Amino acid sequence: MRRSVSVAVFITVEILVIAALSTGRQNAALAAQQKTEAAEVKIDNFSFGPATLTVSVGTTVTWTNRDDIPHTVTSADDPKAFKSKVLDTDEKFSFTFTQPGTYPYFCSIHPKMTAKVVVQ
Amino acid sequence: MWTQLGKHGWKISPGNNWPCLTVCINETRPIRGAGSLDSLTRAALQAGWQETATKNNGGIGVSKNEEERMSPITEARKTVLRNSQNELLHDHNHDGIDRRGFLKCMAWAGTGTFCVIRGGMLRSYSMSRLAELDPREMAKEIAGELSFAQISDSHMGFNKAANPDVAGTLQAAVDKINGLAVRPEFLLHTGDISHLSKPEEFDAVEQILKNAKPKDTFYVPGEHDVLDDDGKQFLDRFGKGSQGAGWYSFDKKGVHFVGLVNVMNLKAGGLGTLGHDQLEWLEDDVKHLKHSTPIVVFAHIPLWSVYPEWGWGTEDSAQALAYLKKFGSVTVLNGHIHQTMQKVEGNVTFHAAASTAFPQPAPGKADSPGPVKVPAEQLKSVLGITDVNFVRGKQALGVVDSTLE
Repeated sequence: MRRSVSVAVFITVEILVIAALSTGRQNAALAAQQKTEAAEVKIDNFSFGPATLTVSVGTTVTWTNRDDIPHTVTSADDPKAFKSKVLDTDEKFSFTFTQPGTYPYFCSIHPKMTAKVVVQ
Repeated sequence: MWTQLGKHGWKISPGNNWPCLTVCINETRPIRGAGSLDSLTRAALQAGWQETATKNNGGIGVSKNEEERMSPITEARKTVLRNSQNELLHDHNHDGIDRRGFLKCMAWAGTGTFCVIRGGMLRSYSMSRLAELDPREMAKEIAGELSFAQISDSHMGFNKAANPDVAGTLQAAVDKINGLAVRPEFLLHTGDISHLSKPEEFDAVEQILKNAKPKDTFYVPGEHDVLDDDGKQFLDRFGKGSQGAGWYSFDKKGVHFVGLVNVMNLKAGGLGTLGHDQLEWLEDDVKHLKHSTPIVVFAHIPLWSVYPEWGWGTEDSAQALAYLKKFGSVTVLNGHIHQTMQKVEGNVTFHAAASTAFPQPAPGKADSPGPVKVPAEQLKSVLGITDVNFVRGKQALGVVDSTLE
């Protein structure tokens, strides 16, 4: 009997802990969302513009392919921080930078196309 | 005997026992300017064909006796090459554009190139020029023991202004192949079959090529064929019996064909790459072949530095070519740059084929290598196919056949 009570108490505590944790997570996510800024990179004429984009932590960068040839947005780091699927004309790719640092990237189809995002 | 043809072209008539070879050999100095490439091309086109040949030390696929018999040409060639070799190396290693010191024929007009290997040397013809020939004349020109056609960069799925009907232009290329006086034994497709690696794009190309009289097509992938899946779909469709990412070799009538893959794992800022595994395989693949065996290598991105600034070259091609140094005749067929271009360096003749989809600008002649938009009525004149015809000289025939036994 005593044993089943203690089990019940334990389960209750566990539920409370999980509830508290998930609320905390939601709050953190909400806070990050509120802080999020947006930035754009245009892909045109076999180049990324701007070639160097400086943003603050939490910024979501969106690349749009304005070229009449498909391109990709592929991290040059190992392991790759991000990698888009192939982007045909007018297709977009977004990535949110949550850590400061310099992120070099390129087009894996036309590797001479290189650029970087600096996250501060 | 040498006769000058145009500004930088030369015609050699070696004697009664050898087919007349017409050779464009640049004089080292006049070709330095970018403009002289055009004059070379014009000279070749005015003559109704493009044809290139060079050799270091004797005949290609030719016995020792044959070499001796050919010695007057060999000596003349040696002189030209001796003068040019230092500059060739210098330029090749430094600016990669290879303006100096070797032959480079570039054709920016016409429907592509028709090539003939004779006695191990490659000759090439503009397809539109061939079409102008009387059928009997054409049959005579392209008759041989082995002929094949190269198509490249069909980019099925591309639908922008530069060519809204890539299926139509591929079909036109097939019609041209079917209209040749001699049926090529097979087709080579040097990559960028599709535009976006979509199943329906590959399907469409396969359907159109079913209408071609040659029943076999040998493929290598372009970077547009391996998008998002590391080439799995390409391998499933076209890579049966191949190694690694899709490289393989086969023999046809004494000619050894090698299909290479240089579009995988491209690195930021880099060029095409073959990679260690493939290079090792290549070394082993050609190790036991006799030096007289004519070699035809085909890969998507050029295996020579056409224009590294646009990624038109292959990082580790020098290693691959080193394994092929011992062979008298090596022909390299590429695509990728959507224009025909040729170069001879030592024992190697390089050819890039036109696209069947859309043209790209000449190296450095635009801000980027994007599609060149030409008026619809001119489009077909800048697209094309390449036909290669292998013809063995009587003496060489025995030598090459014995290689196979």
